[in-house]
Amino acid sequence: MLTTIFIYAAATAILNPLVVLVLCAFAGVATVLMLPGRKETSWAKVGGVVAMAVGLIFAALLVRYTATVSPDGMGIYFWVFSAIAIVSAVRVITHPRPVYAALYFVLTVLASSGLFILLWAEFMAAALVIIYAGAILVTYVFVIMLASQAAPDAATIAGQTDYDDVSRDPVVAAAIGFALMGVLLFVIFDKADGVNRPVKPPNLKVFVQDGSATPPLATYDGTTQQLGQYLFNDQMVNLELASLILTVSMVGAIVITRRRIVSTDFGDEFVETPEPETLHGPATPVNDNPHSIPVYGTKNPRVKAYPER
Amino acid sequence: MDPLALQHYLAVGAILFGIGLIGFMSRRNLIVMFLCTELMFQGVAINLVAFGHFWGNFSGQAFTIFVLVIAAAEASLALGLVVLLFRQKNTLDADAWRELKG
Repeated sequence: MLTTIFIYAAATAILNPLVVLVLCAFAGVATVLMLPGRKETSWAKVGGVVAMAVGLIFAALLVRYTATVSPDGMGIYFWVFSAIAIVSAVRVITHPRPVYAALYFVLTVLASSGLFILLWAEFMAAALVIIYAGAILVTYVFVIMLASQAAPDAATIAGQTDYDDVSRDPVVAAAIGFALMGVLLFVIFDKADGVNRPVKPPNLKVFVQDGSATPPLATYDGTTQQLGQYLFNDQMVNLELASLILTVSMVGAIVITRRRIVSTDFGDEFVETPEPETLHGPATPVNDNPHSIPVYGTKNPRVKAYPER
Repeated sequence: MDPLALQHYLAVGAILFGIGLIGFMSRRNLIVMFLCTELMFQGVAINLVAFGHFWGNFSGQAFTIFVLVIAAAEASLALGLVVLLFRQKNTLDADAWRELKG
């Protein structure tokens, strides 16, 4: 069957969408086998082998396809970065330990920032590394460390918990996901020639004229300045809305994770309330005094004690 | 056709999106589920930047910045909620909240 696919692909010489669909089906089976489950680990190895075979076939087809056209020297970086991104993305969803999944996601972020550099988006590449790999992933790792502990009843090996070892409906998930992916790739490889027609850039001095050649480096001064001008001239309201969203989410995160706030009348007497987990009054400061939020467990509201459970 | 056309980048974005979707549906750890949503954001960001490059304007990069903003806001809020849920049931299993039906 694979030989017929090879012959068919060789005959068409452009990456055939049917081949993409077949490869998506194989990759779906492989991903089902690789997802953490209650089965033996040999099935995961089989899935890994199948996934590697699918990836090799896909890479061979693509390399063969790119060998027919003239390379411009940047193609190999694209293949390397996208291969790293996809393989580490697969490891993100198949690794049973969350910390390793987060670290593989860092690898995905780095690879896709490399793709951004190939697309002449240096600022976005730097922002992706700084924000994603630097800020968001650090937050994830901190929360993983805060909230992960060896479950006393369901620990199997080395503190692994049951819900990390057994995935939920892997067959259904892989079927849906790879059906969507197959349809998307089919459309992309079959019908995307219509959108692959770059218009002339309106406000760029040096840019790709026909989408194929790279800009001359001597006259190339980066797209960061132009991106900043575009952001602060044309997208001003959206930029302000983005900052507003960030502020609101920060305040919301603080309000969500705050606990054990019990407020009374806040007069001369501070009453010990019987139920510590309930939120009685408004959790906003009175008279702009940040110390006026009464905290459970203290007589003096200026002494902020957050008793842990 | 040139070696690296738009559909190559679109294919990488679609693959990342699909992998993130599979992970979101199949994993049971709440943190890993939100990590998979970040994976889907990655695919969308690659799509946007590729479109912006091949169409010769900066809308793709600008929208990628806004995607980053939304991802940061979603990460902070969702992780706060995850910490809150973890305090209540002392587990990160999404199936622990199975009774929330309806």
